[in-house]
Amino acid sequence: MVAAWRQAGMSYIQYSSLCARLLRRALKPDAQAKAMKKEETFSKVNVWKDGKPEKKD
Amino acid sequence: MAALVIKSAVFVPQGISTRNMATLKEIRLRLRSVKNIQKITKSMKMVSASKYNRAERELKPAKAYGLGASAFYNRAEITQDETKPNHLLVAMSSDRGLCGGIHSSICKAIKADVAEKPADVDVKIACIGDKSRLILQRVFSDKMLFHVSNIGKKPSTFGDAANIANAIVESGFEFDVGKLYYNRFKSVVSFQTTTVPVFTVDAISNSDKISIYDDVDSEVLQNYCEFSLVNLVYFTLKEGACSELSARMTAMEAASKNAGEMIDKLTLKYNRTRQAVITRELIEIISGAAAL
Repeated sequence: MVAAWRQAGMSYIQYSSLCARLLRRALKPDAQAKAMKKEETFSKVNVWKDGKPEKKD
Repeated sequence: MAALVIKSAVFVPQGISTRNMATLKEIRLRLRSVKNIQKITKSMKMVSASKYNRAERELKPAKAYGLGASAFYNRAEITQDETKPNHLLVAMSSDRGLCGGIHSSICKAIKADVAEKPADVDVKIACIGDKSRLILQRVFSDKMLFHVSNIGKKPSTFGDAANIANAIVESGFEFDVGKLYYNRFKSVVSFQTTTVPVFTVDAISNSDKISIYDDVDSEVLQNYCEFSLVNLVYFTLKEGACSELSARMTAMEAASKNAGEMIDKLTLKYNRTRQAVITRELIEIISGAAAL
């Protein structure tokens, strides 16, 4: 049986990070503040097409 | 390759007189600018030293991620068939420069690797961090799959690694051979550009020894494969950040030392010139007085 999230077109990476997000939301406030710091991401992905970066606008 | 060589015009500074003709003012200005540069490099060294301490502290727990993922593959003796046609090379660099040969050594390794590959091999490159993108896009713009920016300004998080790994999975490029190029942190003064293989589900399930792991069906395998990719990316990001900061520390220390030497030389020259000017003025005054 294929898992429901994979049928929805998610990869395990997306699925697990979504689960982690939900878990962090469910934490008690004092533990949450610490856990939320780990959620920050800074990176931006730009896909290339035909030898040029695709503009994301 | 010849077309790619960039012709650089010889830069001729205007308005600066030749060496022995340097006036006092010019030397003073130069001295001041070198002193300012030294201040900047010194403070950059301090900043990267404290950042490096943090990066090294974070590297220790992050190592477990990489070693764990690699151990799984090593145990099963999974290998990559280099003769297969689709190759993916990921350059794990960052956005920031002034750190010696960190980024260029990764790019050099990739260039050498691409040059060795037979013509029928389809190579795709993904650049993590702007520095490797700037170097590689000139040569391999047709091979670029995606690039990731905003790496290295702040310590990377697991979320960043998940972003990158997801981009690799979602890119739709079905590679047979995958490699992450990163700088392995050896010590404060040295790093080593290394590769870590990325395996696909096919490569794992076709391996003879996968049966040493119990109860592994294809779905679990695919999940683990994606998850271990995140782990490897996270590990290489942390290793790369640590070696980058240590390299920046050494580079800035060397720069401060060089600036110090330059300041010494310029101060000496400044004092000599000042004395020469005073002597000349005295002679002018004395001879002027004698002529009266």
